[in-house]
Amino acid sequence: MESAPTISTRGLTRRFGELIAVDNIDLRVAPGQFFGFLGPNGAGKSTTIKMLTGLLAPSSGQIEILGLDLEKHPVEVKRQIGVVPEGMALFGRLTGSEFLTFAGRMYGLDRETAAKRTAELLDFMQLADQQKKLVTDYSHGMQKKLAMAAAVIHGPKVLFLDEPFEGVDAIAAGTLKAMLQGMIARGATIFLTSHVLEIVERLCSHVAIIHQGKLVAQGSLEELRAGVEAGTPGSGDSGSEGSRPSDEKMTLEQIFLRTVGGSRRAEHELSWLA
Amino acid sequence: MMSTVSQTGIRTGQLAAIAWLRWKLFVNSLRTSRGVLELISRVFISLAFAIGGLGGGMGMAIMASIFISEGKPGMLAVVLWPVFLFWQLFPVMATAFTNNPDSSDLLRFPLSYRSYFLVRMAYGTFDPVTVLVGLWSLGILAGVGFAKPALLPWTLLVLLVFAAFNLLFMQMTFAWVERWLAQRRTREIMGVLFVLLMLSFQLIGPLVRHFGKRARPDVQRFVEVLGPVQGILPPGLAADAIAQMVLSRFTVALSSLALLCAFVLVIGYFLHVRLLAQYRGENLSEVAAVSALPEERFLRLGWKLPGFSAPVAAVFEKEIRYLLRSGPMLLTLIMPIFVLVIFRLGPMSPARHSGGLFGRTSDMAFPSAVAYTLLVLTNLAYNNFGGDAAGIQFFYASPVRFREIVLAKNLTHASILAIEAVLAWMAVSLLYRPPALDVTIAALAGLLFAVPVNFSAGNVLSIYSPKKLDYSSFGRQRASQVTVLISFGVQIVVVGIGALAFWIAGRYGNFWIATFILLLLAGISFSIYGMILNRIDNLALARRETLMAELCRA
Repeated sequence: MESAPTISTRGLTRRFGELIAVDNIDLRVAPGQFFGFLGPNGAGKSTTIKMLTGLLAPSSGQIEILGLDLEKHPVEVKRQIGVVPEGMALFGRLTGSEFLTFAGRMYGLDRETAAKRTAELLDFMQLADQQKKLVTDYSHGMQKKLAMAAAVIHGPKVLFLDEPFEGVDAIAAGTLKAMLQGMIARGATIFLTSHVLEIVERLCSHVAIIHQGKLVAQGSLEELRAGVEAGTPGSGDSGSEGSRPSDEKMTLEQIFLRTVGGSRRAEHELSWLA
Repeated sequence: MMSTVSQTGIRTGQLAAIAWLRWKLFVNSLRTSRGVLELISRVFISLAFAIGGLGGGMGMAIMASIFISEGKPGMLAVVLWPVFLFWQLFPVMATAFTNNPDSSDLLRFPLSYRSYFLVRMAYGTFDPVTVLVGLWSLGILAGVGFAKPALLPWTLLVLLVFAAFNLLFMQMTFAWVERWLAQRRTREIMGVLFVLLMLSFQLIGPLVRHFGKRARPDVQRFVEVLGPVQGILPPGLAADAIAQMVLSRFTVALSSLALLCAFVLVIGYFLHVRLLAQYRGENLSEVAAVSALPEERFLRLGWKLPGFSAPVAAVFEKEIRYLLRSGPMLLTLIMPIFVLVIFRLGPMSPARHSGGLFGRTSDMAFPSAVAYTLLVLTNLAYNNFGGDAAGIQFFYASPVRFREIVLAKNLTHASILAIEAVLAWMAVSLLYRPPALDVTIAALAGLLFAVPVNFSAGNVLSIYSPKKLDYSSFGRQRASQVTVLISFGVQIVVVGIGALAFWIAGRYGNFWIATFILLLLAGISFSIYGMILNRIDNLALARRETLMAELCRA
């Protein structure tokens, strides 16, 4: 029997005036999945993640996280999830250590546990030497690591990450990936959006692609690959980057481009550029 | 091929683009219903400024005309000093009304230093205060011109130089104070200097009394003492330049104007030094400088607040840390005590008044100081989430009810108020005499009434009309105009009711009556506060998009 999904949406829709940013999507993320949520710019990824984490109200539809209706049980849901939203949600005028302790206590940890986990996380994220520095003075990558630390300090069962690797150097990215894989190994579910398709391909077991607000593909990488080869998801022109020798496995980038119909503009355009 | 445009053309184009940007930002801000409300509020505030400007201008015109007609041109200093003081002090006292956005964002563009300087000056020029004092200056010009038309061109020239001085001086003050407050060490030095300045004010009273013993302690004697000093300062020099021209002493008039020009150059130079440093991309972050040093690792526990939940204690700790790290906020919060000292030496000096309202100065000083403290605190209480910026997302993502978050913020502000009330009580005791027990209790009862009213209004407005605040910068921020207007209305009602209670008590000669009335009202205001606090979660949820859109913007 299939286990109950950790994240599920039914008819999830969000309108901004005339614009339908997210259009009637049905997502299903099983427990323990590392789930990549992809889409071109403006496709509705961040809007979806905001709705899934209670940062934005849906216009219609239903969201269930860990079997709980988000609208009816927002506090119970939030207690079990961690979030790194688009803007990172940091308090710039606290030090890194103060911010993590604050986050721990906001998630209901006692003072000692919050302090202990703060120290451990700062160590793990290689931020221990910077713990007295104000968050506002952190580099972008350091802020990302701190936001990630704050999102996991309470040991969430589900983690939502909006572009966690954006602006992060290779060393920091390695640290973050190690932590995320460790969480997956211990049974957590991770929902991630990223433009770095190589990372998604390496980390995620399952992927969904959103395009112009609609969910155009969902499943394991193999299922998506099979679907594209059979001509099911997406119908766009793949362009030159989509071509490959017939004996090679289709990459996620190729699947993505075929699904959303991306193509490269002709080289003669913008000829005034140096 | 790249088309060639002259340097002047580029500069003109850039300035036009910046003006266009400002205009579009304004127009686009009207797209939301909140933007329209802001516009309506601005219209009301502009009306108030227009009345102040035109009324003041007429007053200045009449006075200037009388001084010239009656052969006392030297007295023009009496009208020029208020222009100078208002121009310089109003933006500091009421940053809510000023509009001086961060122009450093423009540095990413290929802007020449001259353009950058001009933009900074333009930001300062298109300010409501400048318009208001501009109208006053026009009044002075009209008054002098009416009394002696031949003096019009010369007066215009002098007033233009005087206006340039004021504009440069205001910009220079902000630029340097901001720089000094940006780093911990200079901030501490500033703090010490500020305290020394406050203490030095204590000397003014004894000095005035000392001189007063030799002659009549009236204004005339005071002016005689200060006359020579003010004469070599810009307002005095501007007055002298006009006065000497009236007396046909052309050389002296020209030298006064030359000295005024010298002031303009010196102030302009100091402003140039600061702006050039900004233009070259200075980084005042002191933390970055020491970041290479390994820090001692330690385990720090969060604060514990007996009787309150962990999230309330966590938010309370965070708020206190934010305030302690904000020089501008600390400076704002110390203002009530500062004003108490000023009033002690000025209109509320017991030496000057033996009867009437000011006859019982020590009785009125404590309630007034407490009321002013609350007024200052409304800057924070009416924009609870302003300093959180993108952190607001954390609040929404965390499993904590907004009721607790808002309660913690109110608790922080109430604690500050309590500390300031104690400081005010001590200051009044030192400056006057210890306030009577009945007055103290009545004032505290007044607080019990006024605080929940203000917190209730503040909590709602913080959600409906938020404005992102940078706790580290000085004088570059303004509250939402809607908030300013509503806050003003609430203060009028609260202070009016408080004053009425005190008036009734004074009439019967028994301050316990005021205590009784105010405690009754406190019961009502606490009920309202509780009611609003219980609904704050729904309000915050309903307004989450607006809140995050406003506070998370870059």
